[in-house]
Amino acid sequence: MNFFFEVLIGGLLSGVMYALVALGFVLIYKASGVFNFAQGAMVYLAALSVVGCVEKGAPLWLAIILAFVIMTLFGIATEKFVLRKLVNQPPITLFMATIGLAFFIEGLAPLVFGSEPRALELGIVDEPIPYILDNWNMVISKFDLVAAGVASVLVAALALFFQYTRIGRALRAVADDHQAALSIGIPLQNIWAIVWGVAGFVALVAGMMWGARNGVQFALTFTALKALPVLILGGFTSVPGAIVGGLIIGASEKLAEIYIPPVMQDMFGGNFGGIEGWFPYVLALLFLLVRPEGLFGERHIDRV
Amino acid sequence: MSKKIGDVILDLQNISLRFGGVKALTDISFNVREHEIRAIIGPNGAGKSSMLNVINGVYHPQEGKIMFRGTERKKMEPHMAARQNIARTFQNIALFKGMTVLDNIMTGRITKMKANFIEHALWFGRAKKEELEHRKVVEEVIDFLEIQHIRKTPVNRLPYGLQKRVELARALAAEPTMLLLDEPMAGMNVEEKQDMCRFILDVNDQFGTTIVLIEHDMGVVMDISDRVVVLDYGKKIGDGVPDEVKNNEDVIKAYLGAGH
Amino acid sequence: MLYREAGQFKTTYAADQQIFPIRQDRLGILVLLVIAFLGVPLLASEYWFSAILIPFLIFALAALGLNILTGYAGQLSLGSAAFMAVGAYAAYNFQLRVEGIPILVSFICAGLTAAGVGILFGLPSLRIKGFYLAVATLAAQFFIVWCLTKFPWLSNNSSSGVISTQKLIIFGHELKTPVEKYLLVLSIVVFLALAAKNMVRSATGRAWMAVRDMDVAASVIGIRLMPTKLLAFAVSSFYCGVAGALYAFCYLGSVEPDGFSLDMSFKILFMIIIGGVGSIMGSFLGAAFILLLPIFLDIALPFLAGLFGLPFASETVSHIQILVFGALIMFFLIVEPHGLARLWQIAKEKLRLWPFPH
Repeated sequence: MNFFFEVLIGGLLSGVMYALVALGFVLIYKASGVFNFAQGAMVYLAALSVVGCVEKGAPLWLAIILAFVIMTLFGIATEKFVLRKLVNQPPITLFMATIGLAFFIEGLAPLVFGSEPRALELGIVDEPIPYILDNWNMVISKFDLVAAGVASVLVAALALFFQYTRIGRALRAVADDHQAALSIGIPLQNIWAIVWGVAGFVALVAGMMWGARNGVQFALTFTALKALPVLILGGFTSVPGAIVGGLIIGASEKLAEIYIPPVMQDMFGGNFGGIEGWFPYVLALLFLLVRPEGLFGERHIDRV
Repeated sequence: MSKKIGDVILDLQNISLRFGGVKALTDISFNVREHEIRAIIGPNGAGKSSMLNVINGVYHPQEGKIMFRGTERKKMEPHMAARQNIARTFQNIALFKGMTVLDNIMTGRITKMKANFIEHALWFGRAKKEELEHRKVVEEVIDFLEIQHIRKTPVNRLPYGLQKRVELARALAAEPTMLLLDEPMAGMNVEEKQDMCRFILDVNDQFGTTIVLIEHDMGVVMDISDRVVVLDYGKKIGDGVPDEVKNNEDVIKAYLGAGH
Repeated sequence: MLYREAGQFKTTYAADQQIFPIRQDRLGILVLLVIAFLGVPLLASEYWFSAILIPFLIFALAALGLNILTGYAGQLSLGSAAFMAVGAYAAYNFQLRVEGIPILVSFICAGLTAAGVGILFGLPSLRIKGFYLAVATLAAQFFIVWCLTKFPWLSNNSSSGVISTQKLIIFGHELKTPVEKYLLVLSIVVFLALAAKNMVRSATGRAWMAVRDMDVAASVIGIRLMPTKLLAFAVSSFYCGVAGALYAFCYLGSVEPDGFSLDMSFKILFMIIIGGVGSIMGSFLGAAFILLLPIFLDIALPFLAGLFGLPFASETVSHIQILVFGALIMFFLIVEPHGLARLWQIAKEKLRLWPFPH
């Protein structure tokens, strides 16, 4: 039973990491209706910027600030040179454009900062917490707990930002209805630039956490692939949805990875590991059939 | 106008439709007779379009009975309405934007085409013959609505008035016995309106098509329709021949406000 | 003056509804086919066949499959490579397990198998649209590749799922040389491309496009959404499946599941974006563009770097390739969303008027 809980908690904590990436998607989707496939590439770019700056001799705090500046500028540039030109195009076109953006970043980032995998030291060690190990005999990583803490702070900050600041209110207005927001004098394009900046910041946080844990390498772009089922589950428009979706996906995929392959092995013979790769998708897909708008998404009524 | 109005073919009884807590239609009953032009009028948000959507199965009312040609209609999908020869146009033009005028109108005949995709792919069997036969009918519709010059034009390049006409053509191509028109003249200038009126009357006259029409232009409605039903806030407040409706107290109130 | 339909009056609907109604187009296609079937085999070198022409045709076929689904029926898929994998492995297994089955029959069966799998993964399209569906097709991508790796039966117990394809024997004759393989691939691709053209210009294609452009209106007209969408998934997957079988049998000879990666799916998607979404010819143009661009960059970049005396690593080329792909996709979506096919069409319209300006 202990083992079950260990897997469950480990899964939940890694789910928080997925949620971190998913948050970036939700922000941009809410404000501009763009499904930003490049969020994973942005995570990669952010992490690479941090280690790149550190390598060039900057102290960590400065590197983080520089990376933040880079991400913000990048977000603004994306808004200005790509998305603004695609206003009024069908959402699916915007989606494909962000796939292009993802490739662009994946080519550009290593050109600038180099492509070899590197470690990112944040000073948090990835080792079991002794207290829990001693008392309950469970391996729970200290790092994962810190990551969960960071994610919680980030979500709380975003929620406050959306709820109580002027910009936050404007953002919500834009999310509800572009035309209406424009007509009452909300500067739509500034708002979009801000959103892309914020999404860049979220990518930076996610990139640092993921980079510190797994190393800064190309595989960071795959975090987007992990975040997609999270979004389907949680709904594209909901910040809490991203968190809950992340937790569900994280926990269920780890449990599935432990408990399903042995069963399959008994049935078919052979080794059936690695179902983590598709399990979240199939789970999300089955879920879609029951509730197409996700757990917290808004139901959409087609008007004729 | 000498035409023969027939029996009731569509009878709506106590229809109520809700979206969540919002009541779109409340306890509405009226009928449509064969070969007549039946107008539905009412202020914005009165539930007119919802009514059309109920008739052709896009929305499913929570309460009430729909009798079509004497049989009660169970829960139905929109594509079944087409198979009962009910065609319609939409308030906001719903043409297939990526296709030419000709293809749009050909699509209107899709329920009448029987060849399957393998016949199409290999261009054998019924495929070729059907495409030609139906093209002929479609060309008749094109002649009827006087849009020969634009038949190969992609619809998104056409001006608004012509798009409306193409949409009518697509509906007519199905040779419907009942035609639902949702504001066919909205946003048109006087000449375009006159053309459209002429087409509607001609369709009704020549083919005997029953027409259910939503329109805001009172002059047009009173001129061309045989009977008018008036909705306000999802309720029926008037029903009868144009003159009757024109003098109905409730209708005047709904249109001009309570002060008059 | 060369390209003009003036004077070509159509007196019957049959003449107006030919597959290529304009005489010059008919001639052009004919010339192209003659060159492809007779000229190219005489002129091209072995390298051209096995490194450029065969993969070009195969990817054009896969892009055509995706274009049917995405361009005509409006359902975006990110799992085309997985359906190619299904085709490749199905063809291999039909050859392996069915005694004496002709190779062409096993290609058809491969397509049908892919079509079946395609229908299965197309089922969610009945409830979800747009990028929800795109994400759902990723499930197909990951799940199928995983299955092919993990179920040993599918690859006849080879380690990590690698298969080596059987001999290509057609009517008792074994196809060995690249030219023979090229001609086989070409015949299949031409046949399927014409079939696709026929489908999209008839009621089948109109139903797909109607669903793509406005599904509510389509259903009010009497189009049943479910069979229409599933048919698009089936036909599209059939094309991808056959492309996959050809990819294994006529191009590489030996494939592994991981070869049919998400990257390959994206590449096929890029082909139709750049070539032209909703255009048969666009699939060919896009495939040529996406395949030739890396070759071009491979040659041009080191040359340019040498010109300016810059140090150049081979790794850099691959980064620049990815970057250029991404930039081109954005560029085309912004500047010419209908891709190269649209540019070609504009060129034709200009030609029609030439030498007059209007």
